[in-house]
Amino acid sequence: MADVNITINGQPVGVPAGTTVLKAARQAGIYIPTLCDHPALIPVGACRMCVVEIRGQRNLQTACTFPVSEGMEIQTESPRVVSARKLVLDMLFSERNHFCMYCEASGDCELQSLGYRYGVDHWVYPTYTKPFPLDATHKHILMEHNRCILCWRCMRACSDLVANHTLGLRERGADTMIHADANLRWGESSCISCGTCLQVCPTGAIFERRCAFMGRDAQSEHIKSTCSQCSVGCGIEIVTRGGNVLRIRGDWEGAVNGGLLCKLGRFDPLQDDRRRITRPLLRRKGRLEPVSWKEAIQAAAKRIGGTAGAEIGVLASSHSTNEALYLLDNLFRRQLQVTNAGLLNRVAMKHIGRQEGSLSDIGGADIILVAGADPVNDQPVSSFLVKRAVDRGARLIVISDEDNGLAPFAYMNIGTAEIDKAIEIAGRAERPVVIYGPWIDGNMADALKKLRNSASFIALEPGVNTRAAAAIGLNNGFDPSGVKFLYILLGEQKWADESILGKIGKKTFIVVQAAFESSLTERADLVLPAAIWSEREGSLTNTEGRIQKVARAVDPVGEAKPDWEIISLLADKLGRKLGSSFDEVSSSAARAINERRNRHGKG
Amino acid sequence: MAKVKIATDWLAGCAGCHMSLLDIDERIVKLLESVEFTSSPITDLKHPPEEGVTVGILEGAISNTRNIEAAKRLRERCQILIAVGDCATFGGIVAMRNLVGTDQALKRAYLDAESVCNGVIPDSPELGKPLDTVTGVDKIVKVDLFIPGCPPRPGAFFYALTELLAGRTPVVIPDELFTYD
Repeated sequence: MADVNITINGQPVGVPAGTTVLKAARQAGIYIPTLCDHPALIPVGACRMCVVEIRGQRNLQTACTFPVSEGMEIQTESPRVVSARKLVLDMLFSERNHFCMYCEASGDCELQSLGYRYGVDHWVYPTYTKPFPLDATHKHILMEHNRCILCWRCMRACSDLVANHTLGLRERGADTMIHADANLRWGESSCISCGTCLQVCPTGAIFERRCAFMGRDAQSEHIKSTCSQCSVGCGIEIVTRGGNVLRIRGDWEGAVNGGLLCKLGRFDPLQDDRRRITRPLLRRKGRLEPVSWKEAIQAAAKRIGGTAGAEIGVLASSHSTNEALYLLDNLFRRQLQVTNAGLLNRVAMKHIGRQEGSLSDIGGADIILVAGADPVNDQPVSSFLVKRAVDRGARLIVISDEDNGLAPFAYMNIGTAEIDKAIEIAGRAERPVVIYGPWIDGNMADALKKLRNSASFIALEPGVNTRAAAAIGLNNGFDPSGVKFLYILLGEQKWADESILGKIGKKTFIVVQAAFESSLTERADLVLPAAIWSEREGSLTNTEGRIQKVARAVDPVGEAKPDWEIISLLADKLGRKLGSSFDEVSSSAARAINERRNRHGKG
Repeated sequence: MAKVKIATDWLAGCAGCHMSLLDIDERIVKLLESVEFTSSPITDLKHPPEEGVTVGILEGAISNTRNIEAAKRLRERCQILIAVGDCATFGGIVAMRNLVGTDQALKRAYLDAESVCNGVIPDSPELGKPLDTVTGVDKIVKVDLFIPGCPPRPGAFFYALTELLAGRTPVVIPDELFTYD
């Protein structure tokens, strides 16, 4: 777009036409205070903090909504502007309860920092004494209406970003209230606990129950990582203080999620109450006893040494890092000639598109087909993208014989037998997107293939790092019969495959690499304590094939070690050199995963 | 040159602001070369001298009728009145009472509290009568300078006093000393 030349505080600035005054100022490094504005949200001009003086305009204008035009002369800190902002602040402080000293957000509050900036050292207007209720009905989020400044950020995040439309407004003027649904208690509303509202709230009105009063942003460390709860691979920030994880925030710069997270990624990882395994445990005379790492690795190596490759079984969790899966495959399948290796969750799917689409295609779709997948429950952030597209006018067709979380948002819900109907409609669309998951069968796949030339195909892998496991080759079926030595890389995955244990001989030596106690670790002969998502470095491959780093935010509990390191130790003991450093292993793993991806892309 | 006279008093507060004033530490020795602390709740002389002082410092919120009397008395007897702390500037912790109402707060504290037996709400004529609404000092008397903070930083006291001694009127204290908590 053509550049428009304007001046801000006398400084010449050139920006594309249509840019708002606020964006133009930020581009020029000129600060304009804001409260309701948020980079991820559509500006509404609700709070009036960003008012500026524009020559020729009778009134002050909100910089966040006002587009620039040629020759515009803008003053951002003129006496008129400053006095208007002070008035706005005085009015905001006069409503509800803005006493900082007993507020959760003090120190991180945007209202507070503007109070400091404009020297609000007393209250001009009589204080407001009407108390508002605290809504503590939600499991994870507290809504303290007394701290609310009605900037609508939460409501806009709920609608514009997550497309859930739970939060809304009622009443008018000073009586305006943010509420859930039609004024329901939050805990009983249609809220899906994605927590985006608490991430955008500028004050202490919406905050997280678990980490309330546990540390301000300035007192804590923010470590960028990748969520390891499903195959979407959202960028996260792990916020820690004193070696403890306080909270998880969506990374606004996250390539896939752009700041969004869901309940699985934001809250559940911190609510895990399973008991951790903190030391290696070896079964001696029928009882599991703590041993040193040296003894544990030695015991495993000895067993492997005495077992033929054909009698060794390997099971891997898709919660493992690329590095761990790569090393596991390399050690057992390539070096020890083990062929009986499988995945613990549903196996990865066969890709049917010619050109793989990416999750970002969803936003531009006019027709979205969802088949064999239930993203609302399994990959929630991808369902936000679908719901957002539906809000913008895209038509959603859900093809499923079961209940599907997206069904209420669909223009058409059809059974799998009627898939041709959906194909016909999508065939007429300009930008169709097919989102498919592990439950599609051969017939559905064949039908969908008819859209190969026009549609963007997005596969939603089950599990977490399933795509990497499949690419590396750990996706064969696993046969429990005849296994004398079983190595299970369980990590932090919940043990749900009880049936496997029944099929395995009583004398089978089972080594489990696990973070938590379970019926499996009780049965195991050797338990190796594994680090969890916040305690390990490595990388994960998301459902699009994107390889993203996970970071160690805190030290592993007890003697636990990252998944890949444990396999490295074992390989060293067996005299197999699999890579001399983490970086080398990491790049070998990435290469192995990408090779497979390229092969697939051509097919 | 005669020393500049200062009187302080506290209203509905916790004494924390006075502690913070003392926390200016050894700088107080230097300060005492130029100023004289006449009356304060932490000295023998409790009431500001009738002949008046130059600077009056008030801590605490306006919570009862005695607070109003004390605030007015100091205002009458000083030339420059400084409200210090969140209670004096905004109402502070004391103003939490506004959210439940004075009657409820008294009942909760003196009758319903778990540790109370045979409780009575004190109503001696010597005590001030609680007001319906707690406010900052400026809602009762004119205030010349506000130093918020819970408590204000010691440096803020030192800054304000040295500025005044230098003949300047601090309008708002500087950013690094400006805090709400």
